[in-house]
Amino acid sequence: MSGAALQFDAVAGPPRVGAVAARLDSKLFGSLFQTVDVDRRLTVLEIGSALPETVDFFAQFKCRLLFVDLFSEPFVHDQADLSETELRHCFEERFRFPADTRLDLCLFWDFLSYLDDPALRAFNSALRPWLHRGSRAHGFGAHHLGIRLANVRYGVRDRETLNIRERGGRQLRTHPHSQLEMQEMLNCFAFERGLLLADGRLEMLLKPQV
Amino acid sequence: MFDKHKGSKESAPPAPEPRAPQPNPGVSTAPPANAEKTAMIGKGISITGDVRADSNLRVEGVVEGRGVQSAHDVEVAETGRVTANISAKVVRVAGEVSGDIAGSEKVVIARSGRVQGNIVAPRVQLEDGALFRGSIDMNPAPVAETRTAGAKPTALDAGAASSTLAPAVTSAAAPATGQSAATSGGEARKEPGLTLKSG
Repeated sequence: MSGAALQFDAVAGPPRVGAVAARLDSKLFGSLFQTVDVDRRLTVLEIGSALPETVDFFAQFKCRLLFVDLFSEPFVHDQADLSETELRHCFEERFRFPADTRLDLCLFWDFLSYLDDPALRAFNSALRPWLHRGSRAHGFGAHHLGIRLANVRYGVRDRETLNIRERGGRQLRTHPHSQLEMQEMLNCFAFERGLLLADGRLEMLLKPQV
Repeated sequence: MFDKHKGSKESAPPAPEPRAPQPNPGVSTAPPANAEKTAMIGKGISITGDVRADSNLRVEGVVEGRGVQSAHDVEVAETGRVTANISAKVVRVAGEVSGDIAGSEKVVIARSGRVQGNIVAPRVQLEDGALFRGSIDMNPAPVAETRTAGAKPTALDAGAASSTLAPAVTSAAAPATGQSAATSGGEARKEPGLTLKSG
């Protein structure tokens, strides 16, 4: 692997994968594939570590999967101690892809709700160069700010179903953002569709901000 | 009514035996069936440099270099640790790999496997418990296109073949470690079709 090779041991690494604890029916995840040309090679960014079912799912496509497990990055855990500029540099370092990379799909899962305001703006700045007009993203936000997030990771079982597995290790502190805040700080994307979930989360489908 | 088999030794299912860790179905923990065509870097062997095999290759020891290459299969066993790029037809990792992996047919990361690098293969299989960090390129265009920007050319691209001396074994130690192909208490076998090249 090029450049900044992070050793698993150095950062505790992603914990071993827990068993599938639950499934989540997703009405929006499948929509990602309605707007991208799945016949050409897809580039997919997942904010998280690789799970077997996700790799299996994407094996049906000609694709490149980029796994960036920011959940286990120390700088994300220590985000409150860092300036927005420092955070942006950290994210840029993790997003050091080949120069011609353009992300077709971004899978954020719950990650955006673990970023405080400066970190979310820094994430937005670092991600923006890798997007193109056809990019799409999927993730979960909050529709009420008292939400408590489970410490879980997600795998893609099929277009309508996500596997939920327990995430080992220390959970990041939650920073729920309203939809308005999210739109202001994650302004490389605009909301395409949103769906309120029973647990207080908002399932989001995002498209690039024109 | 639910315990009608209770006390009936004949009809009772055999008591489950304590389960040892299950071998990974995708990764043989024993040498492949055609062992005579499998070169092995045994446990306790440490090699610094490039490795090229004309046969299957099983790594139980340590390889540090730029490339491990085989036209057949490469298996990194649970005890194996490779810090190098790997190129083969099928690559199975049950140990640790830090480097890019190119499999012309398939790459499997077993549940005990830990891989940090970029994988290029038509098919990639991760098993539950596998640790992977990097990118996966499936059903891709030619492998050379997928190298990350700024990555150094590897021995796999750059003529390691020129020094292939199969079926003899050659080795050149890197002075830095003083170990290279020398034994360090482990199994040292000269394997036909295995070529070692200093790093």
